[in-house]
Amino acid sequence: MDTPRPIIKTIDLWKRYNTDEESFALRGANLEVYPGEILTIFGKSGSGKTTLLNLIAGLDRPTQGKIEIEGNDMEAMGEKVRTELRRKRIGFVFQFFNLLPTLTALENVLFSLELIGKPDKDSALEALSSVGLKGKENRFPFQLSGGEQQRVAIARAIVKKPSIILADEPTGNLDTATGEHVLNLLVSQCKRYGATLIMVSHAMNTCRFATRIINMVDGILVEDRSTGDCEV
Amino acid sequence: MKIVIKAFLRYLLRRRSLSILQLLGIACGVAAVIGMAISARSALYSFNEAIEFLRGKATHHIEKPAGSMDEDILIEIINDPAVDFFSPVIDRRIRIADGEVVRLLGIDPFLDSNIRPEIVRTISRDRYSQENNVLYDFIYMENAVLIDGSMAKKLGLSPKDTINTNKGIFNVVGTFSNPSGELLIIMDIGNAQKVFELKGMIDRIDLILNDDTGFRGRWGQGFKIESNRQRRENLTALLQAFKLNLQALSLLALFVGVFLIYNTAMFAVVSRRKDAGIMRGIGVRRSEVFLAFTTEIILFGIAGGAIGSIFGYILSRILTDILGSTISNLYFFLRPTPLAWSWWNMLAGIVLGCGASLLGGITPMIDLVKTEPVSALRGRIYQKASRKTVKKLSVYGLLIILMGIVFLFFTSAHVYIGFAGTFIFLIGISLTTGFVLMVSIPLLRRFFSYLSGTIGKIAISNIWLNTNRTSIAVAAFMIALSMAIGLGSLIHSFRHSLIWWMNSQLRGDIYISTRSDVDVPLELYEELKKIPGIGGIDIYRNIQITYRGKPVHITAIDSSVLKKYTQFSWLKGGSENWDPVKKGSVIVSESFARRFRIKEGDTVSIESARGMVSLPVTGIFHDYSTEHGVIMMDRSTYINLFNDRTINSLGIFIDVKGEKRQGIIEQVEKMAYARGLPTSRQRQFHERILGVFDNTFAITRSMRTLATIVAFFGIAGALMTLFVERQQEFGIYRALGFSTGQVALITLMEGIGMGLISFLMSIFTGSAIAYILIKVINLESFNWTIFFYFSLNPYLAAFTTAILASIGASLYPLWKVYRLYPQMQIREE
Repeated sequence: MDTPRPIIKTIDLWKRYNTDEESFALRGANLEVYPGEILTIFGKSGSGKTTLLNLIAGLDRPTQGKIEIEGNDMEAMGEKVRTELRRKRIGFVFQFFNLLPTLTALENVLFSLELIGKPDKDSALEALSSVGLKGKENRFPFQLSGGEQQRVAIARAIVKKPSIILADEPTGNLDTATGEHVLNLLVSQCKRYGATLIMVSHAMNTCRFATRIINMVDGILVEDRSTGDCEV
Repeated sequence: MKIVIKAFLRYLLRRRSLSILQLLGIACGVAAVIGMAISARSALYSFNEAIEFLRGKATHHIEKPAGSMDEDILIEIINDPAVDFFSPVIDRRIRIADGEVVRLLGIDPFLDSNIRPEIVRTISRDRYSQENNVLYDFIYMENAVLIDGSMAKKLGLSPKDTINTNKGIFNVVGTFSNPSGELLIIMDIGNAQKVFELKGMIDRIDLILNDDTGFRGRWGQGFKIESNRQRRENLTALLQAFKLNLQALSLLALFVGVFLIYNTAMFAVVSRRKDAGIMRGIGVRRSEVFLAFTTEIILFGIAGGAIGSIFGYILSRILTDILGSTISNLYFFLRPTPLAWSWWNMLAGIVLGCGASLLGGITPMIDLVKTEPVSALRGRIYQKASRKTVKKLSVYGLLIILMGIVFLFFTSAHVYIGFAGTFIFLIGISLTTGFVLMVSIPLLRRFFSYLSGTIGKIAISNIWLNTNRTSIAVAAFMIALSMAIGLGSLIHSFRHSLIWWMNSQLRGDIYISTRSDVDVPLELYEELKKIPGIGGIDIYRNIQITYRGKPVHITAIDSSVLKKYTQFSWLKGGSENWDPVKKGSVIVSESFARRFRIKEGDTVSIESARGMVSLPVTGIFHDYSTEHGVIMMDRSTYINLFNDRTINSLGIFIDVKGEKRQGIIEQVEKMAYARGLPTSRQRQFHERILGVFDNTFAITRSMRTLATIVAFFGIAGALMTLFVERQQEFGIYRALGFSTGQVALITLMEGIGMGLISFLMSIFTGSAIAYILIKVINLESFNWTIFFYFSLNPYLAAFTTAILASIGASLYPLWKVYRLYPQMQIREE
């Protein structure tokens, strides 16, 4: 039997934002994530979790180190291929939802499908329905609550059936009950489509949904813990 | 891609107020340019139409260098082999009852049928009719005239009506269509000779020649022969400086207009940073974001350009009237008809709107699409340019300013180089705006903090923290204010130079007939000379000739009178310059000397009735009567050279004072009135000249106002954008305990702060522009020196404009603050 190959691999990843200073957001992060895993990266604010996620998504470039997605070196891909990757293979859920304010819930979801060349309205409606937003398809983001906006964001991420979903503090802006509901949804949807999920969070409740938990401190991935042990 | 574009376009609808402001910004910029361009084109088009219509099919005309000529010449003209057709003409101006000056052409309807067949066809239309024989009436009825259709319509006249003029009552026998725009009356030449007491005389002969060289060879001596091309060139040359002025104003409009559109497009892009970030985050390609922005900008450009072209067309109708009146006052009668609406105007507006918008949006767009998605996703970050960038831009700015100054040094090569230098200078100054902001912010923070505590401090910090947005608006406003100060100072200095000139040269107590449409009879001069108390009478005659292919004026005066009663200001020497004038020398105006590089001691060669003569120049004097240049000679010299005794006006100098003086003035007025001649006392005369001066600058003032309006939209757009982007931030202020009023005050202070910085910058820039306009551009365009007279008024006006415009620009955001923030709003959309 073949050893499964990691879908995401980071090797000695460093990131410095301000070139004038010696302050690194990431200090040699090494990570391997396997297909179907639900991984939670824990860490305090400023520990480098979001930076790591942004680098994996190709939203930002590392100062040093290497990222491989499905065995391909991200840096070697070039901007165009990285964009294609985000477009087709990666779904992203942001802490502040980041829905396009001028599009309705349905259009925000449909937008994802349009980008992959399959603007199927029924699929978008189904995705919204699956996150419990049936009947609110034509509302604009500002007409939805925070929880509802995050559910639209999840629907937008999953509707294109990506192999990887990256979620940056998906419950960071929600109350506990709504957060639980959103996490349930996100995880169940990932499992349904067999997507690999990486969540970064500093909220305890996230770990209950993870198959693996990694702690992050000052830009370094320090330990790999099993689920159920959620102390940060 | 459809949804990407939809997302962008919906933004415009959701931010309606900002979109309208942006749209108006582009529209105003386009309107300024289109309005100026159309009115300038209207004036030039009407000018060409007038020339074409009046010349008819004539290829040349022949006249004396000055005055009328004996009609006996026609016998020789008939026999000249080069002449295919000819038509003698009396070409004069009369004044109709409402005071309007009208051109009167006296023609022979038979001879003229080959030159102006359209008019003659009107006369001969019913030549065999017993009841309505226009031709018969035209020739045999006393004072019979044809009037042009527009004049008939304006005065409500039709055939068989009469029209009152300063030359008697005329009988209207028909109307004709006249596309030239100039009010025109046609009379039989025999009648015209009677009306103008020109028995046996004609003003010129219009010709159709088959041999230009042969004809000139036979008639060159003692006559002025002009082909139509030459005539057009001469008239065009008359307008040259004025055209330059128009071009400069059009460029100003273009500069400020493009600046505003640039500003608007840039705001559109930078305020959409986060949306672009989200799109990039979920996989939208750079090219797609670029395309979406481009679509939005182009749509704005199209809509703003289309609206602007309509605004511009409306504006052009106002500007065309002002232009016509200025040209008529300064050069020759012209009543430009506003050009009809053309869809090309809209196309030009759209091209301008889109072009300038793309120019404005391209840099921030490239910057945005190059930015890593994660940076864009942070959304609105403070757009403060780094100190390094600001300093770098300032260095570029200084280099560009230096380049502009170098250009200005070469203005003498061509005035366009001066214009280019001025605009380069302004671009350079604009680039230093960031640096000025950087330097002045600490001081302003202290000042505003003193005025309104923390609120003032926050407001001024916001201007600095958003340099990328605010500096462009400040630069645009600064340019508009600087132009206002520069043009204001120019007008003030010019006006005072003119007053100084009038006080030194136009010192007559009363002037008779200073208008071009009436001549003064010699008998009146003889009668006036006999009145005791009149110390001197200057007999003034002015004609236009061609010198080295360019139009100039010859002015005949009584040098002994002027020497005694006036204080001409000479470039070199004093009143001793008059002495040789009595003996046949000439003096020339500064504009003539500069234009033709003539010095004292040189000679000028002119074509007189006696052929080519060379006259020594003994003095150069300051003069603002015409930028084309004046050769001034004693009347005796003039009569000797041109055999023309026409008097255009008389300047009367009275020796006695008090009541007796008043009595003489009244007596002169009565004598002139009895002959239908207008008079002006010194003060009235000066006031009329100042009136013409003020009218001349009406268009400049209009453009200055327009530039300020355009810049106002720039500031308003900047404030509105800042406001829209910071709604959440305002919510935080409310959460911290700021009242709605205090939040509103922040916006108001930002507006005033930007206005104040613009004004501070404009003090220097405006003064520099004033100096450039007065000492470089004006000197090269008009060839005369304007003396600098400082006035605080342009600066005070600029300060008031800056503050009022800033407050005005803040009003809408203020209203939004009061409407949106009764409660706290922190939640982000």
